[in-house]
Amino acid sequence: MNDRSSPAMDGSVLDVYGLTDVGRKRETNEDQFVVALMRNSLELEHTSLDDTASLNQLGQSAARLLMVADGVGGSAGGGLASRSAVEALTEYVGQTAGCYYRLDVDTEHEFLDQLEAAVRKAHERVRSHTPKGRGPATTLTMVTLVWPRGYVIHVGDSRGYHWRAGRLRQFTQDQTMSELLVDEGVMTEEQARDSGMENVLSSALGADYIPSIGLIDFRVDDVLLLCTDGLTKHVSDEEIAAILQRETTAESTCRALVDAALEGGGSDNVTVVVCRMVPPAIGLSGDSSPAS
Amino acid sequence: MIQKKICMVGVFATGKTSMVRQFVFSKYSEKYHSTVGVKVDRKDVDVQGTTVRLLLWDLEGRDGHQELQTSYLRGAAGILYVVDGTRRETFDQLFELRTAVNSAIGAVPSIVAVNKADLTDQWQITDEELDTLDASQWHQLKTSAKTGQGVEETFSWLAHAMLKGGQS
Repeated sequence: MNDRSSPAMDGSVLDVYGLTDVGRKRETNEDQFVVALMRNSLELEHTSLDDTASLNQLGQSAARLLMVADGVGGSAGGGLASRSAVEALTEYVGQTAGCYYRLDVDTEHEFLDQLEAAVRKAHERVRSHTPKGRGPATTLTMVTLVWPRGYVIHVGDSRGYHWRAGRLRQFTQDQTMSELLVDEGVMTEEQARDSGMENVLSSALGADYIPSIGLIDFRVDDVLLLCTDGLTKHVSDEEIAAILQRETTAESTCRALVDAALEGGGSDNVTVVVCRMVPPAIGLSGDSSPAS
Repeated sequence: MIQKKICMVGVFATGKTSMVRQFVFSKYSEKYHSTVGVKVDRKDVDVQGTTVRLLLWDLEGRDGHQELQTSYLRGAAGILYVVDGTRRETFDQLFELRTAVNSAIGAVPSIVAVNKADLTDQWQITDEELDTLDASQWHQLKTSAKTGQGVEETFSWLAHAMLKGGQS
């Protein structure tokens, strides 16, 4: 298995992991993922004080940047697009990350504006590779998690799912030509299924793009899944829900999801990022509250 | 620029997302997509010579008697309640929703959009019942996210009310 993993068990009660696989038909992997921890905190290293537990609450000022991207364009162009996009986003979001810990009602929209601006810069970075015309492009599904709120920016047909108490729901809407034509009333859903346009993107970074912006408040025991279409081509929502229910760690969940996609045919690169909101009682290092 | 946050509140599938889509993009889709969490859009409008950016928070519709997730309401300057005229229960839950909203953020300007005015032959709410909203000082407009009827007027009324600081 050609995988790249990013364990992110940092002692918080967010259990995060990412995994990508080239699949069984493709020779190159044009997917990318990022799992990043953004901190703005004081962390005790040595002290003569007794009550370090309360002081270490200060160390919980952290946010997570999670994203998946699926390059399109072939001839390595897709890989270049997805890599450029996630590199640019990691860089730009990192530059503005300091503001997340000051988030309040008045600044929340500024924060969303900054995330959207970062996506716009990533789009321009991808476009810079082909200034004279249509070139490679990439999907993007990105969640910036400032516990308990996840800020979502989505472009293309990679997906975000939210699992709570056995119920799985997709919180992104695929931006494909078939979805667009059904939305516009040009086609019925049945016609769209036969149109062959379900894999043609109507919006992508590097091409025409319309970012969809949203947010979700999470609770302990929830699971967040970001994935490229290499998963959803082969694994149904019911199967995904069963895996999220059965597995107990983010890493085992990622591996089970990728294995299911490969068993289903592995026709495309497959990438997943899973974030499990672990109950405090079984927190990975005994923390008493969610990472904030 | 002045910014005002509006939260769209109501039972699931009343047409909240469709109203925003019609208002912002002048588009309508027959296909139903349920909202998970909040979808955020924005639109600049002119209110008596002042440009106001409306930050539209389209909240996931209430399903059954689940609690309204009030954390999304923080900072809202206005509430747009959406009722589906063809589903009586969406009207019945209106007062309960208003109580939950008011307990969370206090009274802010609000309006009720009685949606699906293009299907009045299937309505399960009478004009007399809608008059009870007027009686409780609650402004209401009949809207159709499909045809656009009343949509612009609804947001415009709320924008004016928010700038005036009225409480409908």
